[in-house]
Amino acid sequence: MDVYEGLEGEKVLNLSRLNLDNLDLDDVGEERKRDTQQLFLVYNRFIMLPGSICHFSNLVFLDISCNRLAFICEDILRLSKLKTLVAKNNRLDEFSLPKDFGTMSLEVLNFSGNRFEEFPSEFLNLQRLQSLSLGGNRLKSIPAEIEQLTSGSKVLVYHGFRPECATKLYMQITVQLALQFSLMCNVILRHFSLIIQTQTDFTKLKHAALHILELLYLGGNSITSIPPELANLPYLSYLVLCDNRIQSIPPQLAQMNSLRSLSLHNNLLTYLPREILSLFQLQELSLRGNPLVVRFVKDMTYDPPSLLELAGRTVKSRNLPYKPEDLPGNLVRYLDLASKCPNPKCGGVYFDSCVRHIKFVDFCGKYRLPLMHYLCSPECSSPCSSNPQSDADSEDESSVPAHRMQKVLLG
Amino acid sequence: MEQTEVMKPETLNDLIKVLHQIFSSDTVNVEEVQNLMESYESKPQEWMAYAQFDKFRYTRNLVDEGNGKFNLMILCWGEGHGSSIHDHTDSHCFMKLLQGQLKETLFEWPDHKINGGMTKKSERVLQENQCAYISDSIGLHQVENVSHTEPAVSLHLYSPQFDHCNTFDQRTGHRNTVKMTFWSKYGERTPFVSSY
Repeated sequence: MDVYEGLEGEKVLNLSRLNLDNLDLDDVGEERKRDTQQLFLVYNRFIMLPGSICHFSNLVFLDISCNRLAFICEDILRLSKLKTLVAKNNRLDEFSLPKDFGTMSLEVLNFSGNRFEEFPSEFLNLQRLQSLSLGGNRLKSIPAEIEQLTSGSKVLVYHGFRPECATKLYMQITVQLALQFSLMCNVILRHFSLIIQTQTDFTKLKHAALHILELLYLGGNSITSIPPELANLPYLSYLVLCDNRIQSIPPQLAQMNSLRSLSLHNNLLTYLPREILSLFQLQELSLRGNPLVVRFVKDMTYDPPSLLELAGRTVKSRNLPYKPEDLPGNLVRYLDLASKCPNPKCGGVYFDSCVRHIKFVDFCGKYRLPLMHYLCSPECSSPCSSNPQSDADSEDESSVPAHRMQKVLLG
Repeated sequence: MEQTEVMKPETLNDLIKVLHQIFSSDTVNVEEVQNLMESYESKPQEWMAYAQFDKFRYTRNLVDEGNGKFNLMILCWGEGHGSSIHDHTDSHCFMKLLQGQLKETLFEWPDHKINGGMTKKSERVLQENQCAYISDSIGLHQVENVSHTEPAVSLHLYSPQFDHCNTFDQRTGHRNTVKMTFWSKYGERTPFVSSY
């Protein structure tokens, strides 16, 4: 809800439902223009955001929903105090925004019910954005850059940071390096201390754009997959992905400890990743309208592993020591991608060759959710699947205590 | 049977007054209540104080306790918010749209051998000011705001009052008893303290 509470009288100017197609402010006094903090222009006939709007120099809230807006002019950039912009039900798309839109201090942005086919890159620069709604558009994907470092940050130096951050950051950096830097980079990992040397200067790491985003509403689009980078938004608590065409959830979403509410209804999910059980803050989860597997189906397709995979498995499971200088960079990266087999009795790892195994887990004591396990071979099995053909199986080595998930509404 | 003349309630307070009169007797004429609620034309300034939204899920905001005979409450549904499939604990349930639209999907009660999910009976989209009725003898329902751009507000009357109901898993028919809570009462926010 974008209801802005508490302002009265001169601070609110309501010009809704007046058939306006231009904003002639001759009748509005100078003082009123200065004092107005909230402006409503809802249900009019604007095709462009009127330039005269910049006369409201102290504007904090603007609602120009239900017009015919196809274009937002540069004049909006002069509203330096604008925090909330609502432009629902217009005709905006990714070409409608002024070039420097990303420099605005917006905290709440609602562009639902428009014609966006791609996630506008200008949004990725909005450093103060807490709430973003793009429901009911025509988005086909969410960009991986949603968590990308803003341009300008080149090199990262860390010393002695906490071990649990090390692996995640190391992975992030190796991926970044693969994309951005040449093989001249050396990566040295020493006792959780990470030093990267490049030919460029050392500069401070800037916060990622959308770093403080708490609400992301993307329901009612045509999104087919979720980039794992979404999980790197550290404050995201409300994620809406309902009414899309999503077939699977990346397991990285389980790292989102801030996630309180996840809306996935009306998609194309047949199972969920088992890691979803670790979302201990999650209180609402909607899954209705997905073709979730009801009866256990053991997936017997198994491509035999390649020589590369077998070699990689041997290196990892026997802990053979190696230094990155010993190997070409691509092999180092390959070895880093090893996944541990979730069967705790198995010390094995796998790379690409694995067996999917749908395991039903009694989720919050209400339902049997099909959760996906990846096992390193058909012979491997999770500890409690003594009767894999039955969906009465409800034990899981990491089952969530019922009280934690009591309020989950699997509607 | 002579039907009491129903005056169209001009305000929400009028509606509440007439409801008190109607429910002072022991029997409920479903059609009478439904027509009465439908005839009240929603005026946002009369119920705005009760329309308190939560960004995560729909809210229930108590308006009147009907002298113990009924509960009158306002439900606020953000974009995409919906309920589970649920029953009504042997009570009458009237639901009137004050703002926006809500999709109501009716389901049959699940039987023991459920295969392929619970049976959907019908679905419809309720428009502003329309009033729907349901009870356990009609079946179960699920209510959703399917809009991604507009919030919805609905006025609900339940008689007799109840604070527990069953929710159902559409895939398996499995049922679970849940306690219902209020987000606010008489316009005042009333946070629920969990016993978990």
